[in-house]
Amino acid sequence: MSSAAALAHGSGASSIAPIFQAEGVVKKFGGINAVNEATMQVADGSITALIGPNGAGKTTFFNVITGFYRADGGTATFEGRRVLGRPPYLIARMGMVRTFQITKALARMSVLDNMLLAAPHQPGESLSGVLLRPGASRRREREVASKAEELLEVFNLTKLTDQYAGTLSGGQRKLLELSRALMAEPRFLLLDEPMAGINPTLGRRLLDHMQRLRSEDGVTFLFIEHDMEVVMNHSDRVVVMAQGTVIADGEPHEIRSDQKVIDAYLGGGSPDDGAESSSAATPRSHGEGGRVTERPR
Amino acid sequence: MEPATLLPLGVSFDAFASLGFWLGVGVIAGTFTIFALGLQLNVGFTGIFNFGQAGFMAIGAYSMAILVTEEGVNFWLSLPIAIAITMVFGLIVGLPSLRLRTDYLAIATLAASEAIRLTTLNARELTNGSQGIFGFDTEFDDLSESIESLLISVGWSDPETLFPLFMIVWIVALLLTFGLWRLQKTPWGRVLRALREDEDAARALGKNAFAYKLQSLVMASALGAIAGFFLALNLKFVVPDEFLPNFTFIGFAILILGGLANYWGVAVGAIIFQTIFEGLRFLELPITEVQVSALRYILLGLVLIGLMAFRPQGLFGKREEMVLGE
Ligand SMILES: Nc1ncnc2c1ncn2[C@@H]1O[C@H](COP(=O)(O)OP(=O)(O)OP(=O)(O)O)[C@@H](O)[C@H]1O
Ligand SMILES: [Mg+2]
Repeated sequence: MSSAAALAHGSGASSIAPIFQAEGVVKKFGGINAVNEATMQVADGSITALIGPNGAGKTTFFNVITGFYRADGGTATFEGRRVLGRPPYLIARMGMVRTFQITKALARMSVLDNMLLAAPHQPGESLSGVLLRPGASRRREREVASKAEELLEVFNLTKLTDQYAGTLSGGQRKLLELSRALMAEPRFLLLDEPMAGINPTLGRRLLDHMQRLRSEDGVTFLFIEHDMEVVMNHSDRVVVMAQGTVIADGEPHEIRSDQKVIDAYLGGGSPDDGAESSSAATPRSHGEGGRVTERPR
Repeated sequence: MEPATLLPLGVSFDAFASLGFWLGVGVIAGTFTIFALGLQLNVGFTGIFNFGQAGFMAIGAYSMAILVTEEGVNFWLSLPIAIAITMVFGLIVGLPSLRLRTDYLAIATLAASEAIRLTTLNARELTNGSQGIFGFDTEFDDLSESIESLLISVGWSDPETLFPLFMIVWIVALLLTFGLWRLQKTPWGRVLRALREDEDAARALGKNAFAYKLQSLVMASALGAIAGFFLALNLKFVVPDEFLPNFTFIGFAILILGGLANYWGVAVGAIIFQTIFEGLRFLELPITEVQVSALRYILLGLVLIGLMAFRPQGLFGKREEMVLGE
């Protein structure tokens, strides 16, 4: 009951228009529906958290809406434009940029090259531009280089500018990937566990930077996160997934007291390792039961 | 008599002192350089495993030879047309196969290469089968002769007949190396390297991975065609046997020798390879000609194994990149 109310609140009472909407998104792996009719909205200019137990389908949902997986059903729009069915590079160019849970540093390229690569509108990225507009290419290169330096400064990566990205530590790679995504000039940034493996001081700086980007540039965020302290204190809205579907959607304080969420995810008190493994086990047994009852219908 | 003949094996160094030997090595090494530049572009800088380069070389050489001898096209005009035809083939091979995983791509390109060679063997009306095609190079010979007379006029009394071809192949090889090296430093080249590192990361940043891989493969096919012209001019004929996958494998050996992801290393790798390969012919061993040619491959294998063990990055590759690539 309370989660239904939260859902109604999420879609109806929100006065800000959604920048992103997904409806009934389905992704199957063999017989398993990793994403099972997931429906959600992300309000323009919001910082929205996506939470749920391990294996809930959060990363798969990201992969579907950013074009990396082909959806088996449903629709999704960004700024009113259809995204499902488009290739990842076009979705990124629309302004919807994602990072990966398992970081993808371009190992044998310098940290700076990782950053410069991400900048859009570089005429020198096409052969015709290389041949016909070398001046414009160089100008754009200088422009983005100064932006790259600023971002590297924010995330304490300045010292590593000329190093191969492959020599970075896990946390540094995570920061590099995030700064790289910011270079792509996103209007909607999807972050898959951005805080994982990052020390608390830099994590705070990351959160501050998100706030600043939101207020200064109007960037919207959807981030997957397991740290409930971060989720509760730094997001405007929280979307909860379990067993591939969205079970709740509301403001952090509503989510905290939502019985369905407590059962599926928060149950067990603190959301550290122990709670996660127990919560991951619970939905899976539910899930199997669910599929059995679904089949006859 | 002389001490050398008392040993069971010896080397007569006379050959190494002759200009003719070095010109012969040089022409083939230059051809290999152009050929392997395409592989470097694909494998070293884009991360796509093109095992079909010999097939592209065959298309280029045969297109040129057929255009000149059958269609009466001027030799010089036939070259750009043959390059264009080869690039279309590159496109045809790439369109279905570049979406495949890299290991499947390797098999697909190798199969395409063999399909092309078997076609040259069996489409006799067009290619003259195993007899091959002759007589496409009169216009080139004219140029070659005018270069020779030019050399005589500047004081070289008896120029080697191979010298003009040697000169031209290396001018072309070095210009192409320089051009590719420059191109690699552009944002376009950076996107290729990003694809080599992680295609999904590049796609997530708005790069059309497929389009870039296609450009890379089509450019490599053009380089294959140019190598094919020089191969044909050096032999003065084209036959299917010249385009066995061996040629591609030698190209890979040259890449490993010179170092991955280094365009200048290609030429050095090609020269070293061809010097060893030809030089071994002068080893005086109590074995037959056939055994000597087998021995050349064995020694080449040993050199590559040694390189893998002691200098896996090749002569000019970067060790750090080698380590990070794993
Ligand atoms: N490529 C794949 N092939 C098959 N099954 C997959 C694939 N990717 C994900 N799955 C399955 O889909 C389900 C959802 O996985 P997903 O990675 O989306 O979970 P998640 O919510 O991101 O979990 P976590 O919090 O642990 O990152 C899991 O049961 C997983 O095993
Ligand atoms: Mg995940």
